[in-house]
Amino acid sequence: MTVKVEKIEGGIPHTTILAAGLVAAVVCIYISYANTLTGTQYFSFFGGLGAIAALVWGSHTIKHLCSYGIGTGVPSAGMIAFGSGVIAMLFATKYGIAAPIVAVILAAIIGAIIGFLANNVLNMRIPVMIQSLTEMAIIGALVLMGYSAMMTGSFTFASMTSGTTIVMGLSLPSYQATLIGGGLIATVFMLGAIAVQHPFNACLGPSWTQDRMLMLAVECGFLSMITAAVMSMALIHMAPAVVSLVVAIIGWYYTFYRYIELSKRDAASWLDSKPIPELEGQ
Amino acid sequence: MAAIAAKPAAGAAVDMPSTIVGIIILLLVIAAAYFLVGPGLMFMALIGVIVGGLLIGFGVHFVPVGGAPAAMGQAPGIATGVAMLAAGAGLAGLFGGAWAAEMGVVVAVITGAIGGGLMMAITCMFVTFIYVFGMGIPSASGKVQKDPITGDTQTEFKSQGTEGHGLPFVSYVGGVIGGLLGGAGGTLIYIMLLDVYKDALPGMMKALPAQVLPIAVALAGMFAIGIFLVNAVLAAYNITGTIEGPHDPKFKRFPRALVASAVASAVCGIVAIMIVAL
Repeated sequence: MTVKVEKIEGGIPHTTILAAGLVAAVVCIYISYANTLTGTQYFSFFGGLGAIAALVWGSHTIKHLCSYGIGTGVPSAGMIAFGSGVIAMLFATKYGIAAPIVAVILAAIIGAIIGFLANNVLNMRIPVMIQSLTEMAIIGALVLMGYSAMMTGSFTFASMTSGTTIVMGLSLPSYQATLIGGGLIATVFMLGAIAVQHPFNACLGPSWTQDRMLMLAVECGFLSMITAAVMSMALIHMAPAVVSLVVAIIGWYYTFYRYIELSKRDAASWLDSKPIPELEGQ
Repeated sequence: MAAIAAKPAAGAAVDMPSTIVGIIILLLVIAAAYFLVGPGLMFMALIGVIVGGLLIGFGVHFVPVGGAPAAMGQAPGIATGVAMLAAGAGLAGLFGGAWAAEMGVVVAVITGAIGGGLMMAITCMFVTFIYVFGMGIPSASGKVQKDPITGDTQTEFKSQGTEGHGLPFVSYVGGVIGGLLGGAGGTLIYIMLLDVYKDALPGMMKALPAQVLPIAVALAGMFAIGIFLVNAVLAAYNITGTIEGPHDPKFKRFPRALVASAVASAVCGIVAIMIVAL
């Protein structure tokens, strides 16, 4: 299966998207650390923006990998990305402020080993396999960490596993109403996995254009961010959660509008059909 | 044209040097785990994770995955990809097994296997209903002349220009076996990690065992889902997307998937265990 089915013409080269996505995701996740420095939670939404940067990079990596016709469908790439990413991300949260860096390094190691297994042991012989699966694991880890940082206000193991619950006016430590203890991370897993595989799955084909697919990736990211913002109301204060929600809704509306415009541009023939006119006298 | 005319490299051949490198990585990981945590609960958990990964990787080969051609009635199997099918069967099994986690490893793993097998049996039954009564196509295999189990001939029912269609009986049985193995493997990974976390988390987080139980359950569940998906997709890469069931010639490729599953499970498993050991 070394036949390349589709080719990338023009547009932004993959290495540029790789570098921009990686730097933007890590920087945005680190900006959410300002929560801890300033003692507020208003910087949480930067975690979601970091996740969206990683999702844009991820959709282009999937395009890069799946244009070789791997035969298993595009969603499988998203699943293996988050399957390997979640392991690196959960382990990295133990390292406090170094967590995003540890997540990137560990995900790269796990992804490279899985890429080697797929390419050499399973004999797939796809030139970009090892590089793509390495990138996918890093993307999975960064998206999960971004949305987790947005929902809990921090990216450390302690903030994801321990919270407080108020029972009859008393504030008690609680491990159940948290990102990991409450199982919300499973929702984040699927929100990210679907958002990373959907753009290429929806846009592939002869009429594929890069800007339309990347716009759809941003749109999917903001759509997932809306859900994550709603869930964050259970974990952080209401005001920062509403800030995240407003950012997500504005971002989603703008990117969805732009995506529809680009879809109309790329459609072979687009006709603004009106409702069937009712003729008088019938 | 040279690239298109070239022989597809993803054939049945086993790449021996790469396989040996894979086995060396596996042994290195097991040795590293032995030196880091010693021969205790955590080391046994890593072995359990590897066995679970092997069950998943082997089980996926039984599941009749048809993909897009099956949805158009041009190939036999269930009309979706491996990632969806294996995740469905494995997670159904995992939930079944997690419910029985308190009753010991054997009961939980068997319950998980039954959950996965039941999910696949129901899926295969309704897929057949839709194929036969909805799409109006009979079940016929394209890879064998006679069904290995029932002995029914296949070629008369196969439409020209297709690779067979519908869900032959042997594929149904293969689907159920795949669900049983996948459910058992997923549950085994979950139970092994849950035991480790229940043992180590109270000391690490300085809390009562009952308080950190939700954390232990969620962590073990997330790692089990992650390791499950990695193994399922690697096995899917091995069969290049579609397979009819245990009678398909592609089934013979399973040895290299076992190597890949064992290595991937070991690498993921040691990270999952080190989260409480380091």
